[in-house]
Amino acid sequence: MNRILKHWAATALIAVSNVAMAAGGDGQSSGQTPASGNIAKLQYLHKGEARIADPAPGWDYLWKEVLIDITVIGILFALMTAFFIWRYRRVPGGPQVGSAPKLSPAAAIGWAVIPAFVFLADDLFLAANGWVLWNKFRDVPADRLEIHLESGMYSWDYTYPNGVQTQNELVVPAGKAILLRMTSRDTLHSHFIPDFRVKEDSMPGRTTFLWFLPREAGKEHVVTCAEYCGVMHSYMAGRIIVKTPEEFKQWYEAGAAAAKRSS
Amino acid sequence: MNLKEWIFTTDHKRVGVLYLIGSMAAFIVAGIMAMLMRVELSTLGPTITSNPSSYNVWLYAHGAVMILGFQIPALTGFFANYCIPLMIGAKDVAFPRVNALSVWLFYVGIILALLTFFIPDPPDVMWTGYPPYSTITAGNTALYSFTVLILGFASIIGGVNFLTTIAYMRAPGLTWNKLNIFVWCTLGAFVLQLIFVPVLGTAVTLISMDKYLGTTFFDPARGGDVLTYQNLFWFYSHPAVYVIFLPFFGVLFEIVATFAKNRVFNYNAVVYGGIGGIILLSGVVWVHHLYVSGMIDWIRIGQMVTTLMISVPVGLMLIGLVGTLYKGSITFETPMLYALGVLFLFLIGGLTGIPLALPSLTLHLSETYYVVGHFHYVMAVAGTFSIFAGVYYWFPKITGRMYNEFWGKLGFWVTFVGTNIVFWTMMDIGVKGMPRRYYDYSHFSQFEGAHQLMTIGAAILGVGFAIALVNWIVGAMKGAPAGDNPWQSMSLEWTTVSPPPHGNWPSPPSVSAEWTPYAYDRR
Amino acid sequence: MSQQDAAHHHAGHAHAHWDYSIWPAIISIGVLAWSLAFCFQFVYHMPFAALITFGLGLPMILGGVAGWTNEAIGKGEGLSYGAMGWFILAEAMIFATFFVYYWYMRLSAPSWPPAGTPTLPIVYPLVMTVILVTSSFTIHMAEEEAMHRGDRGTVLKWLLLTMLLGFTFLGMSIYEWGHLIAEGFTISSNAFGTTFYSITGLHASHVIVGLAIFTAGLFPALKGTIPAGFWRPASLYWHFVDIIWFFVVSQVYFW
Ligand code: HEA
Ligand code: HEA
Ligand code: CUA
Ligand SMILES: [Cu+2]
Repeated sequence: MNRILKHWAATALIAVSNVAMAAGGDGQSSGQTPASGNIAKLQYLHKGEARIADPAPGWDYLWKEVLIDITVIGILFALMTAFFIWRYRRVPGGPQVGSAPKLSPAAAIGWAVIPAFVFLADDLFLAANGWVLWNKFRDVPADRLEIHLESGMYSWDYTYPNGVQTQNELVVPAGKAILLRMTSRDTLHSHFIPDFRVKEDSMPGRTTFLWFLPREAGKEHVVTCAEYCGVMHSYMAGRIIVKTPEEFKQWYEAGAAAAKRSS
Repeated sequence: MNLKEWIFTTDHKRVGVLYLIGSMAAFIVAGIMAMLMRVELSTLGPTITSNPSSYNVWLYAHGAVMILGFQIPALTGFFANYCIPLMIGAKDVAFPRVNALSVWLFYVGIILALLTFFIPDPPDVMWTGYPPYSTITAGNTALYSFTVLILGFASIIGGVNFLTTIAYMRAPGLTWNKLNIFVWCTLGAFVLQLIFVPVLGTAVTLISMDKYLGTTFFDPARGGDVLTYQNLFWFYSHPAVYVIFLPFFGVLFEIVATFAKNRVFNYNAVVYGGIGGIILLSGVVWVHHLYVSGMIDWIRIGQMVTTLMISVPVGLMLIGLVGTLYKGSITFETPMLYALGVLFLFLIGGLTGIPLALPSLTLHLSETYYVVGHFHYVMAVAGTFSIFAGVYYWFPKITGRMYNEFWGKLGFWVTFVGTNIVFWTMMDIGVKGMPRRYYDYSHFSQFEGAHQLMTIGAAILGVGFAIALVNWIVGAMKGAPAGDNPWQSMSLEWTTVSPPPHGNWPSPPSVSAEWTPYAYDRR
Repeated sequence: MSQQDAAHHHAGHAHAHWDYSIWPAIISIGVLAWSLAFCFQFVYHMPFAALITFGLGLPMILGGVAGWTNEAIGKGEGLSYGAMGWFILAEAMIFATFFVYYWYMRLSAPSWPPAGTPTLPIVYPLVMTVILVTSSFTIHMAEEEAMHRGDRGTVLKWLLLTMLLGFTFLGMSIYEWGHLIAEGFTISSNAFGTTFYSITGLHASHVIVGLAIFTAGLFPALKGTIPAGFWRPASLYWHFVDIIWFFVVSQVYFW
């Protein structure tokens, strides 16, 4: 009991403090520099792969937690309903009308206020946890590779800092945070990477961002468009190809040289 | 029977029946669109059409017609029209001609929606109509705007009418605290409609102005802003889900109280805490549809908390429903079967909204079949079951005849099985990453089996609904006479003859001090 | 025609007469025709078809409103005043949407007004304001008369004065628009053009509706009926149009 209370108090506190920081203008709004965020400075200024706070496993953890939470609530309600249905079914010779007592004012208020507080407590518990994870999703590590993405009907066009350009294929080094700054040249699109549990819309006139941490070299991940953008929406797909840092460096420099030659 | 007295009727019951016919027609058309979509998705790649546009148009028509042409009109058009004057002991609504205008505009809206299938370049903007796509598509966005506008206007004048009716035309002695829960729920829904529909109407008008008249509202190249539309749209369309939710829960309350022969548990908490709470909260949660849209970040925390807080009033209403079973004397006719089904299935729908309320989880879940599963559980399952429950429940009142109990129950069980196959599977593949609005999911080929299962489930569910529809038609034509009050309900609408005459009562009823619609133990 | 209020309610009798009215249906079909006209004109670029459907819709809507008023005026609008309050709430939300959009655009724009905006006049909108406020006063006098003493001549006098002021206001709006358009400032010029024309246009459309309501009530008044149940909500609507104008003038012209 005590531990649960402590946990709640802690998460609530984190939530409240985050509100305060967000309201204080930490510049987390999309389109501005994520790195200027206070939260980023406070929590994630470490270097090195192992210590980057990767939100993707956090997603799986929170999902499980929330799933357990709602399953328990659901089963409690369902069991109670099923029990009442069985227990109070009309039987031959039994009562023909119900006999629920009329609630006294105190009971009526109790039956409103107590459940309300229980539900509210659970809500705040979930909110606090959800908000902590959300901040992780929005705090980009300072050590990162920043890539510009222009989406359009129907392709993903990436531009690397050194001018290398790719289409529908994002080659990244394992172990480094990848930040995409996104915009669109026509309609809405959403860069969805199921394996990394992130997506974010891109649109004309604004710049949005998302980041993720590729861990395993040699793997490929599906990128797919998750915002209805036109007739061929469902065909707007791409791949993320994760290379080892060395392989990536080679690829990256070769690409830069090729770009120089062709221009 | 005098045909012109039907078609041009101003009587609330006939207007209600016209609403029922129109909305059921809409349901069938949109349901057939769903079936086409399901068949298309049953294999990877093209199945019955090789043109993605056809699929997009079906999906547009399915979503828009199900929400705007089926559920909202069935709940706030049919049930409200048929039941409210009878439940409050009034002869008719306050403005019968306005009521006729409302149902006629509803039919105009339906006709416009159905034109989708007959015109060149039909709209393909999805029911959300987001720009910039909606302003650059070759499809006919104007048709979308007009459909929404006209159905919205029909709903606004309906709302004005019913709020006035409930406020001023209650029978003598029928105080506010004796109103049926259904009346309260509908009142809440209409308050929401009056406040929020105008915003939606404006938003869709601006879309067409941008596309056809050269304005710059949503065009960033000329100083406009894309995201504003999404905000305006959801500022209405989130409350719209409670416009659906409130009346269908109201229907459930009537049915559960009648078949448990019991008083509603904690009436005041349901009305003031539940309905009141939903009205207060519904206008400040719309951002939960924009978690991945690129909105400024800080706005999410407030709306995350308010979204989660909706579970409090909804929970209070659910406790009221479940509590009404407590110490009841429950029988299980078809309407009650559907209602009890909702008690379980709404839990799934409502509780799966909770993860969506968290911005972090939504980063993955948004725009996937998980969301599609969530809202089909609340609307297509809980909402449709409640509408079917209500139609079965008031069937003897409307037609004076009885439907067939066996086919009624069979229809329920078939639908129950079918819906769970379809919509449970949706949530499952959604969590695994299946995006929505996909004509072809060739880069998610691992889901082909699940999609086939859903197509089979959809066929089962279609058969279940078909059984119910046929049962009504046969019952209305040949059913056995039902008597005035087959369920021995206490509520006022059962005190007049079935079907009620024009004017409802020979002389207007009045109610005694100790009467309430649910006071079974005082009989 | 239908007689909602005539004592036909011998309810219970199987062959009893049920009320009906054809006007709502006619208006609705007119609305359908106009929606199609818009599609023909702007989507399919078929001006001839657009003209025909528009032409079909026009008499339906005008005739529908006239028939409706003729059928129903003076019979049981007892509750219209409360209903008008609800309707105004919905209307206010439309204006609120536009203003919120306007404020949002304006506050997030780098500079305001955007390039290409001519300077707006100052005295002209003030004159329009005075005219509209006066008309609110005159319709109030008409309403008072209709409610309390019911002298038809006096009601008509105030009513006609109100309508005159209303039409003057509308004429001034049109002149102002024409003037600005002649200067090359149109609805597509920039974000301010879009909001300026849509907000003033929306307001003007409400002035038109208000004047239409007055016209609908004018004919019965000339024939001798001046039901308070009609004039109270009509006047309430006009006050609403007046109050909204304060927002328009202060936000669009003077801020
Ligand atoms: C009738 C319709 C209806 C209803 C009632 C609801 C109810 C809820 N919905 Fe749903 N929703 C839709 C229809 C509906 N929704 C539609 C149509 C969409 C998608 C539109 C589109 O994009 O096309 C959508 C999408 C949607 C999203 C956006 C997802 C996305 O696109 O990324 C979210 C996010 O928060 C959400 C949340 C909720 C919540 C929290 C509730 C709550 O109201 C649920 C409350 C109920 C319960 C919680 C269960 C009962 C309560 C208890 C047992 C008490 C105890 C519980 C707790 C303490 C948790 N819904
Ligand atoms: C009230 C709302 C409502 C209802 C009732 C339904 C009912 C159904 N819906 Fe739908 N749905 C939506 C609202 C609703 N839906 C919305 C808002 C969207 C999102 C749109 C968008 O993205 O913009 C959506 C999207 C949607 C999708 C997602 C497509 C995509 O994202 O690519 C799918 C896919 O399977 C689907 C399926 C179904 C099915 C199988 C039913 C079934 O329950 C239908 C059953 C009904 C019938 C079958 C008709 C009646 C029966 C007969 C006439 C008998 C004869 C028929 C047979 C024997 C087959 N719906
Ligand atoms: Cu790009 Cu969908
Ligand atoms: Cu919502």
